[in-house]
Amino acid sequence: MKNLEELKQIRDKVKKNLQMRSGKHKVRIVVCMATCGIAAGARQTMNTLADLIEKSDRDDVIITTSGCAGFCEQEPMIQIYTEDNEPVVYGKVDLKAAEEIFEKHILNNQIAEKYLFSKGK
Amino acid sequence: MKDLADHLFDVLENSVTSEATEVKVVLGFCNKRFSCKIKDNGRGIKSEDVTDPFVTSRKERKVGLGLPLLKKTAETTDGFLRISKLEGKGTFLEFETDISHIDAKPFGNLAKVFADALRSWPDVDFEVLIEGEKNEDEQVLNTKEIKEVVGCSDIQHKEIHDFVYKSIDKELKRIGINTQFGNF
Repeated sequence: MKNLEELKQIRDKVKKNLQMRSGKHKVRIVVCMATCGIAAGARQTMNTLADLIEKSDRDDVIITTSGCAGFCEQEPMIQIYTEDNEPVVYGKVDLKAAEEIFEKHILNNQIAEKYLFSKGK
Repeated sequence: MKDLADHLFDVLENSVTSEATEVKVVLGFCNKRFSCKIKDNGRGIKSEDVTDPFVTSRKERKVGLGLPLLKKTAETTDGFLRISKLEGKGTFLEFETDISHIDAKPFGNLAKVFADALRSWPDVDFEVLIEGEKNEDEQVLNTKEIKEVVGCSDIQHKEIHDFVYKSIDKELKRIGINTQFGNF
């Protein structure tokens, strides 16, 4: 790979960052990322959520991906796992929905009813 | 699938789902033909007819559309899709499409595919090469090397995603792949 020098400069920044977020995460957002999700725009949804986490300075929220949940018509779908709460599943999470859900659910701990698909396991 | 970037990401997802830990991608763009070769060390395909929409390994639903869609995208533009099982372990997939064909799909943002892949599957190692016309293939991404330089296996950082995106994007533009249709 080229540009490894540039990467070395990033390294120090990353190390500092790593120390900062060594605490356990409290919220996990799972984006469904199978063919159905990808075709419906799940990558954009994931990136929007990642940007929102970055901007909000919340270091206890992480994003992961999963496969198809079997409700392809609802894609892009996300599941949110928070400590002590039942997992919540949202459907048709486009960019606008992602922003609303982040604001309501992650920052203010309320269910964003408009996009709610199911609660619990 | 809106563009080739979505197709590529979908194929990478197949590799990850098949429990691959290493995925190697070789991209090429020559004479208006875009080619992509992907090799993984996953558990491999079970049957040869994976481009049949009614064949899938998943249990949530009975159809698998990723590869049939890619096959159609490739074949309607004088291209092809080939998939084979590798000796021992893994799958090799290759597709080609003529980007100047009237039915061709736009490239989309190919560099973003790899930045998104790192974000989605941090535990999988990716290697990406760009096929040289005369010279050797050029490596534009090697997550193992990145992990080594950074000094930890956790490369889930915006700075690193941005770095990967920028360096791949630059090389793709160099061979004429832009975010739309390519420079002829």
